[in-house]
Amino acid sequence: MFEQLRFANDFLRRFETGYARWAQALCAPFQESLGKIEREERGLKLLREWLSPEQLAQYDANNYFDVIGSHTRKRYRIYHGIAANVLEFDNAGRRHAGWCFVPDAHLVAGDVMLAQKIVLETDERGALTVARKFL
Amino acid sequence: MAIQIVMDHTGDTRHHFDANDTRALLKAEERFRELTGLGFTAAVRTASGEAAVRRTFDPTAEETLFFPRLVGG
Repeated sequence: MFEQLRFANDFLRRFETGYARWAQALCAPFQESLGKIEREERGLKLLREWLSPEQLAQYDANNYFDVIGSHTRKRYRIYHGIAANVLEFDNAGRRHAGWCFVPDAHLVAGDVMLAQKIVLETDERGALTVARKFL
Repeated sequence: MAIQIVMDHTGDTRHHFDANDTRALLKAEERFRELTGLGFTAAVRTASGEAAVRRTFDPTAEETLFFPRLVGG
Protein backbone atom coordinates (compact mmCIF):
# COMPACT_ATOMS: atom_id res chain seq x y z
CA MET A 1 0.00 0.00 0.00
CA PHE A 2 2.80 2.37 0.94
CA GLU A 3 4.65 1.56 -2.30
CA GLN A 4 1.52 2.25 -4.33
CA LEU A 5 1.05 5.64 -2.69
CA ARG A 6 4.68 6.55 -3.29
CA PHE A 7 4.39 5.52 -6.94
CA ALA A 8 1.25 7.64 -7.36
CA ASN A 9 2.93 10.57 -5.68
CA ASP A 10 6.00 10.32 -7.94
CA PHE A 11 3.78 9.98 -10.99
CA LEU A 12 1.82 13.10 -10.07
CA ARG A 13 4.97 15.07 -9.39
CA ARG A 14 6.46 14.09 -12.77
CA PHE A 15 3.17 14.88 -14.51
CA GLU A 16 3.00 18.27 -12.81
CA THR A 17 6.57 19.16 -13.83
CA GLY A 18 6.01 17.97 -17.38
CA TYR A 19 2.75 19.86 -17.64
CA ALA A 20 4.34 23.05 -16.35
CA ARG A 21 7.14 22.76 -18.92
CA TRP A 22 4.65 22.07 -21.70
CA ALA A 23 2.50 25.06 -20.69
CA GLN A 24 5.59 27.26 -20.45
CA ALA A 25 6.74 26.21 -23.93
CA LEU A 26 3.26 26.79 -25.30
CA CYS A 27 3.01 30.29 -23.81
CA ALA A 28 6.58 31.45 -24.55
CA PRO A 29 5.89 32.77 -28.07
CA PHE A 30 2.84 34.69 -26.83
CA GLN A 31 4.79 36.17 -23.92
CA GLU A 32 7.53 37.23 -26.34
CA SER A 33 4.96 38.86 -28.62
CA LEU A 34 3.35 40.66 -25.70
CA GLY A 35 6.77 41.89 -24.57
CA LYS A 36 7.53 43.16 -28.06
CA ILE A 37 4.21 44.98 -28.27
CA GLU A 38 4.81 46.58 -24.86
CA ARG A 39 8.28 47.74 -25.91
CA GLU A 40 6.95 49.17 -29.17
CA GLU A 41 4.13 50.95 -27.34
CA ARG A 42 6.52 52.43 -24.78
CA GLY A 43 8.69 53.80 -27.58
CA LEU A 44 5.71 55.32 -29.38
CA LYS A 45 4.43 56.89 -26.16
CA LEU A 46 7.79 58.58 -25.62
CA LEU A 47 7.88 59.78 -29.24
CA ARG A 48 4.39 61.24 -28.94
CA GLU A 49 5.40 63.13 -25.78
CA TRP A 50 8.27 64.81 -27.63
CA LEU A 51 6.59 65.64 -30.94
CA SER A 52 5.25 69.16 -31.43
CA PRO A 53 1.44 69.36 -31.78
CA GLU A 54 1.84 69.80 -35.56
CA GLN A 55 4.19 66.83 -35.85
CA LEU A 56 1.90 64.69 -33.73
CA ALA A 57 -1.14 65.51 -35.87
CA GLN A 58 0.87 64.76 -39.00
CA TYR A 59 2.13 61.46 -37.58
CA ASP A 60 -1.35 60.37 -36.51
CA ALA A 61 -2.75 61.17 -39.94
CA ASN A 62 0.05 59.92 -42.18
CA ASN A 63 2.47 57.77 -40.19
CA TYR A 64 5.24 60.32 -40.80
CA PHE A 65 6.17 63.77 -39.55
CA ASP A 66 8.33 66.63 -40.86
CA VAL A 67 11.26 68.28 -39.11
CA ILE A 68 13.30 71.33 -40.08
CA GLY A 69 17.06 70.94 -40.18
CA SER A 70 18.88 73.08 -37.64
CA HIS A 71 21.53 74.39 -40.04
CA THR A 72 20.06 74.52 -43.55
CA ARG A 73 16.37 74.90 -42.57
CA LYS A 74 15.64 72.14 -45.09
CA ARG A 75 12.61 69.94 -44.55
CA TYR A 76 13.04 66.28 -43.69
CA ARG A 77 10.27 63.72 -43.45
CA ILE A 78 10.65 60.94 -40.91
CA TYR A 79 8.55 57.89 -41.74
CA HIS A 80 7.54 55.29 -39.19
CA GLY A 81 10.38 52.77 -39.24
CA ILE A 82 13.77 51.85 -37.93
CA ALA A 83 16.03 52.39 -40.96
CA ALA A 84 16.14 54.16 -44.33
CA ASN A 85 13.11 56.17 -43.22
CA VAL A 86 14.26 59.80 -43.60
CA LEU A 87 13.65 61.76 -46.79
CA GLU A 88 14.91 65.25 -47.58
CA PHE A 89 12.77 67.65 -49.60
CA ASP A 90 13.93 70.60 -51.67
CA ASN A 91 12.42 74.07 -51.61
CA ALA A 92 9.92 73.10 -54.30
CA GLY A 93 8.66 70.25 -52.13
CA ARG A 94 10.22 67.54 -54.28
CA ARG A 95 11.92 64.50 -52.83
CA HIS A 96 15.61 65.30 -52.96
CA ALA A 97 17.43 62.54 -51.06
CA GLY A 98 17.02 59.70 -48.63
CA TRP A 99 19.16 59.42 -45.54
CA CYS A 100 19.82 56.45 -43.34
CA PHE A 101 21.14 57.00 -39.83
CA VAL A 102 20.10 55.10 -36.75
CA PRO A 103 21.04 54.82 -33.08
CA ASP A 104 23.92 52.44 -32.45
CA ALA A 105 21.74 50.03 -30.44
CA HIS A 106 18.74 47.81 -30.97
CA LEU A 107 15.84 50.22 -30.37
CA VAL A 108 12.14 50.21 -31.13
CA ALA A 109 10.73 52.37 -33.93
CA GLY A 110 9.46 55.16 -31.66
CA ASP A 111 12.90 55.60 -30.09
CA VAL A 112 14.66 55.54 -33.47
CA MET A 113 12.34 58.20 -34.92
CA LEU A 114 12.68 60.38 -31.82
CA ALA A 115 16.48 60.22 -31.91
CA GLN A 116 16.42 61.12 -35.64
CA LYS A 117 14.09 64.05 -34.97
CA ILE A 118 16.20 65.48 -32.15
CA VAL A 119 19.46 65.18 -34.07
CA LEU A 120 18.07 66.81 -37.23
CA GLU A 121 16.56 69.64 -35.20
CA THR A 122 19.68 70.27 -33.12
CA ASP A 123 22.67 69.01 -35.11
CA GLU A 124 21.66 68.52 -38.73
CA ARG A 125 25.24 68.58 -40.04
CA GLY A 126 26.33 66.01 -37.50
CA ALA A 127 23.48 63.72 -38.54
CA LEU A 128 24.26 64.02 -42.25
CA THR A 129 27.96 63.46 -41.62
CA VAL A 130 27.30 59.96 -40.34
CA ALA A 131 24.22 59.25 -42.48
CA ARG A 132 24.24 57.12 -45.60
CA LYS A 133 22.49 58.58 -48.64
CA PHE A 134 20.20 56.16 -50.39
CA LEU A 135 18.35 58.15 -53.06
CA MET B 1 10.40 64.78 -9.26
CA ALA B 2 12.90 65.05 -12.09
CA ILE B 3 13.46 62.22 -14.51
CA GLN B 4 16.21 60.82 -16.69
CA ILE B 5 14.97 58.63 -19.54
CA VAL B 6 17.42 56.28 -21.19
CA MET B 7 16.49 54.66 -24.51
CA ASP B 8 17.27 50.97 -24.56
CA HIS B 9 16.07 47.65 -25.97
CA THR B 10 13.09 47.66 -23.60
CA GLY B 11 11.84 50.97 -25.04
CA ASP B 12 13.30 53.07 -22.25
CA THR B 13 14.38 52.97 -18.63
CA ARG B 14 13.29 55.80 -16.37
CA HIS B 15 15.20 57.12 -13.36
CA HIS B 16 13.19 59.42 -11.12
CA PHE B 17 14.98 61.58 -8.58
CA ASP B 18 14.33 64.47 -6.23
CA ALA B 19 16.32 67.45 -7.50
CA ASN B 20 16.28 68.92 -3.99
CA ASP B 21 18.04 65.89 -2.56
CA THR B 22 21.81 66.46 -2.83
CA ARG B 23 22.66 62.77 -2.88
CA ALA B 24 20.06 62.01 -5.57
CA LEU B 25 21.28 64.95 -7.61
CA LEU B 26 24.88 63.71 -7.43
CA LYS B 27 23.76 60.28 -8.54
CA ALA B 28 21.87 61.82 -11.47
CA GLU B 29 24.95 63.82 -12.43
CA GLU B 30 27.06 60.69 -12.24
CA ARG B 31 24.56 58.90 -14.51
CA PHE B 32 24.68 61.83 -16.93
CA ARG B 33 28.47 61.67 -17.11
CA GLU B 34 28.52 57.92 -17.46
CA LEU B 35 25.99 57.88 -20.30
CA THR B 36 27.45 60.80 -22.24
CA GLY B 37 30.87 59.22 -21.74
CA LEU B 38 29.51 56.12 -23.44
CA GLY B 39 28.42 58.22 -26.41
CA PHE B 40 24.81 58.88 -25.49
CA THR B 41 23.34 62.25 -26.41
CA ALA B 42 21.44 64.07 -23.67
CA ALA B 43 18.46 66.17 -24.71
CA VAL B 44 15.96 68.31 -22.85
CA ARG B 45 12.82 70.12 -23.90
CA THR B 46 12.90 73.89 -23.69
CA ALA B 47 10.01 75.96 -22.34
CA SER B 48 8.76 76.38 -25.93
CA GLY B 49 8.75 72.61 -26.38
CA GLU B 50 11.78 72.41 -28.67
CA ALA B 51 14.50 69.83 -28.13
CA ALA B 52 17.92 71.03 -27.02
CA VAL B 53 21.09 69.02 -26.55
CA ARG B 54 22.95 69.32 -23.25
CA ARG B 55 26.69 68.65 -23.05
CA THR B 56 26.85 69.21 -19.30
CA PHE B 57 24.54 68.17 -16.50
CA ASP B 58 21.67 70.58 -15.92
CA PRO B 59 20.44 70.22 -12.32
CA THR B 60 17.31 72.22 -13.13
CA ALA B 61 16.17 69.99 -16.02
CA GLU B 62 12.86 68.33 -15.23
CA GLU B 63 13.33 65.72 -17.94
CA THR B 64 16.48 64.58 -19.70
CA LEU B 65 16.41 62.06 -22.52
CA PHE B 66 19.44 59.96 -23.45
CA PHE B 67 19.81 58.18 -26.76
CA PRO B 68 22.73 56.21 -28.21
CA ARG B 69 25.05 57.77 -30.77
CA LEU B 70 23.79 57.71 -34.34
CA VAL B 71 25.54 55.81 -37.08
CA GLY B 72 24.97 55.42 -40.81
CA GLY B 73 22.56 52.60 -41.56
